Amino acid sequence: GCLGVLCGAQGGRALFLRTPLVRPAHISHIHLSPNLHSGSKAAPLHWTSERVVSVLLLGLLPAAYLNPCSAIDYSLAAVLTLHSHWGLGQVVTDYVHGDASQKAAKAGLLALSSLTFSGLCYFNYHDVGICTAVAMLWKL
Amino acid sequence: VGRHCLRAHLSPQLYVRNAIPMGTTAKEEMERFWNKNTSSNRPVSPHITIYSWSLPMAMSICHRGTGVALSGGVYLFGLSALLLPGNFESYLEFVKSLSLGPSLIHTAKFALVFPLMYHTWNGIRHLMWDLGKGLKITQLYQSGVVVLVLTVLSSLGLAAM
Repeated sequence: GCLGVLCGAQGGRALFLRTPLVRPAHISHIHLSPNLHSGSKAAPLHWTSERVVSVLLLGLLPAAYLNPCSAIDYSLAAVLTLHSHWGLGQVVTDYVHGDASQKAAKAGLLALSSLTFSGLCYFNYHDVGICTAVAMLWKL
Repeated sequence: VGRHCLRAHLSPQLYVRNAIPMGTTAKEEMERFWNKNTSSNRPVSPHITIYSWSLPMAMSICHRGTGVALSGGVYLFGLSALLLPGNFESYLEFVKSLSLGPSLIHTAKFALVFPLMYHTWNGIRHLMWDLGKGLKITQLYQSGVVVLVLTVLSSLGLAAM
């Protein structure tokens, strides 16, 4: 909200009269909201990236069915693991409390996600690949 | 626009300097709260055990549940590719050798595809909300029912393929 109450009134007066700024009795704490022109844009950027990846993944599903190929296999590996990684990250943020626990959980998640991605790439390279694997599974 | 608001636009730093900052961040406050809370071992008030369930509420937790389950499957598959011996075909051959009944196989396919379809359709519902659409309470329930119907139909369709 606008901190103009202090800025316009006592703040201005204090600067002018060089008296120490007296804290008004009815305000014990003031929380600074992030100013529009300062602060990291990391969080909104992450949010948008999550939506972009979601839409990409959505598009890859019919693409994988209509045109199964190696490019789709690797795209799927990347987008699927990223979407899962970020989704599970939100779950960690919601339920894991405390600085140390959060850090440990996020580190563990990163390790698992990286391993999963390499595993999927390995499968795409050395084995039949994701699209073919699903087709084979469905022919059971 | 008052003098103080005009100052905010002209020199944001000067504007902020006149305020009395707290000295702690939201993160530090959260940390303090949780440390105090967990160490006091207070009983937790009943919340999800007593709150009246609604369709949107149930669908929301199912979205998370299916997401976690699907991720688990993907991660298991990726890790297996790195750790388990043999190739994919050999594992399929093993399953074929079990001579499972077609109805069991059909049910298994349905069980695999159902959480995927639910998460996909509900995911689209989420993306619509992110665009600011369909946020009225009545629309929430309507789109929720649409997602459920689509989930069942598409799951049946895919499992039959």
